[in-house]
Amino acid sequence: MLQAIDLVKRYGPVLALDGFSLSVAAGEIVGLVGHNGAGKTTFVEIVSYLIRQDGGHVTIDGRPPSASRGRVGVAPQHIALYPSVTVREHLTLFGKLAGLRRAALDSAIEELTVALRLGAFIDRRTAALSGGQQRRVQAATALIHRPGLLLLDEPTAGADLETREAMLDVVKQRAGDGAAIVYTTHYLPELVELQATIAVARNGRIIARGTYDELVDGLPGEVRLIHDNEEEVRVSTTQPAATLIDLLGRAERPISTIEVHNPSLDDLYRSLAVSDAP
Amino acid sequence: MLLDTGYRPGPAAALRESLYRIRALANNNTLIRLRDPGQTISYVVMPMVLMLVLKPLYVRAVEGGTTKVVTGLLVMFSVFAISIAGNAILAERTWKTWDRLRVSRAPAAELLIGKTLPIYVVMVAQQTILLVYGCLVIGLPIPGNVPLVLGAILLWAFTLLAIGALLAAIVRSHGELSVITDVGALTLSSLGGALVPLSLMPEWAQVAAQASPGYWALEMLQAAVSGDAAGVVRPAAILLGIALVCGVFAIRRLTRGWGRGGLL
Ligand SMILES: Nc1ncnc2c1ncn2[C@@H]1O[C@H](COP(=O)(O)OP(=O)(O)OP(=O)(O)O)[C@@H](O)[C@H]1O
Ligand SMILES: [Mg+2]
Repeated sequence: MLQAIDLVKRYGPVLALDGFSLSVAAGEIVGLVGHNGAGKTTFVEIVSYLIRQDGGHVTIDGRPPSASRGRVGVAPQHIALYPSVTVREHLTLFGKLAGLRRAALDSAIEELTVALRLGAFIDRRTAALSGGQQRRVQAATALIHRPGLLLLDEPTAGADLETREAMLDVVKQRAGDGAAIVYTTHYLPELVELQATIAVARNGRIIARGTYDELVDGLPGEVRLIHDNEEEVRVSTTQPAATLIDLLGRAERPISTIEVHNPSLDDLYRSLAVSDAP
Repeated sequence: MLLDTGYRPGPAAALRESLYRIRALANNNTLIRLRDPGQTISYVVMPMVLMLVLKPLYVRAVEGGTTKVVTGLLVMFSVFAISIAGNAILAERTWKTWDRLRVSRAPAAELLIGKTLPIYVVMVAQQTILLVYGCLVIGLPIPGNVPLVLGAILLWAFTLLAIGALLAAIVRSHGELSVITDVGALTLSSLGGALVPLSLMPEWAQVAAQASPGYWALEMLQAAVSGDAAGVVRPAAILLGIALVCGVFAIRRLTRGWGRGGLL
């Protein structure tokens, strides 16, 4: 569905994208993670044809972004809503711009109102909404026309638990319906929950891509044994369970606390993305 | 299922869809205008007050003083109304909503038409209200050729809209925009003879006036209200030229967008 090859984007001396390649299949959720300034938003902007790349190319369903207007749903990282316009009026505007007519529009608004829990403030102006409420509205305006490609740039930034859950449910459902989804976040457990393919960006390129298990498998975890608030042993290991049994058998003093730290996405993130970020 | 199947309509259906999107955009922009009408109201009420106050002065100072005071203040405050257009378009940039619209199915031309149509209506209404007020309250003779007057208003409003769109596309903040529109409007329109009748101004100013769109608007409107169709042609052509140049440039700039840059 989405194919980006070797994208390059320069801002003066800054290389925002430096050979960025990423593909997303229909029905696939790609969780795009990476340090601040890694180029995630720049990638989203190029795919949505808001800015032009200096090198490389992008196709959406075989077509360039310029020929894909309206076929992509974009929820930008920063809130971009009309302050004096109500939530319902926003959904109507974006639905109509995508060509939805009365009945289809009404049912799309109804569906998103339930799914993203907009009911309580659907007739309020967006300027009067909280940050998390605005987030949900922004996502709803991107989802209203059921686009085949969804670009959600930090859709859960600043979101509370309820917003997060609602968002993840909708994203899963849309992927189930066959949409290709790019989902950027700094909150990695979301990607496990979404069963997303994880793509790690660093300094303008993708340096790792795979499922959670593929990426985390083989990373070292950690086992700590503590004796009276005093660390007895700390071992970094790819097999925490076996190591724990072995260590307990050899402990010389009584152990008060055992900590087993299985390798997680955060470890992966740290080992790949953050270690030598600029 | 996903609704977006990439279906491409034939020409008649494409036009219908295009009009549907323009209407949606225009509706949205009308809502925004109606909820924040302050600027519009003041640009209608202020010239009304000034016309009343200044009329005796004009009548004593120049021949046809009533026509001059009405058309002069109308032009001056219609130039101020450039800032309504400018602010409305610039706001789309500061709210970042312009980029949201740019990723929609509506091409740039539709976005611009949908954006500017309600503002155009506001500008035409402003000028029409002021003219009607001029006839009813100030004593401007009722124009013999109403379609001519209406045509002049439509063209002048279009020119102002194009200038406003251009300004909104090149400035970096609302502050910059208001400097240009307030100072620019005052200078251009008074230099054009909107505040003080040109015949009372120094000679150099009378020559310089011709560089101001306000001057040509005044010529056009004065000819139109006195029913002089031939006198309308030249200023109308010049204004149309200005409008097209500004409009084309504004469309090109707004189509390209700014990404994250462009604003202060
Ligand atoms: N318009 C611009 N002008 C100059 N530099 C820019 C511009 N847009 C992006 N950049 C630079 O490009 C790089 C990538 O930025 P980008 O916003 O894509 O990062 P990101 O991965 O989305 O970061 P974050 O997690 O903070 O959102 C950064 O160094 C940024 O400063
Ligand atoms: Mg970003």
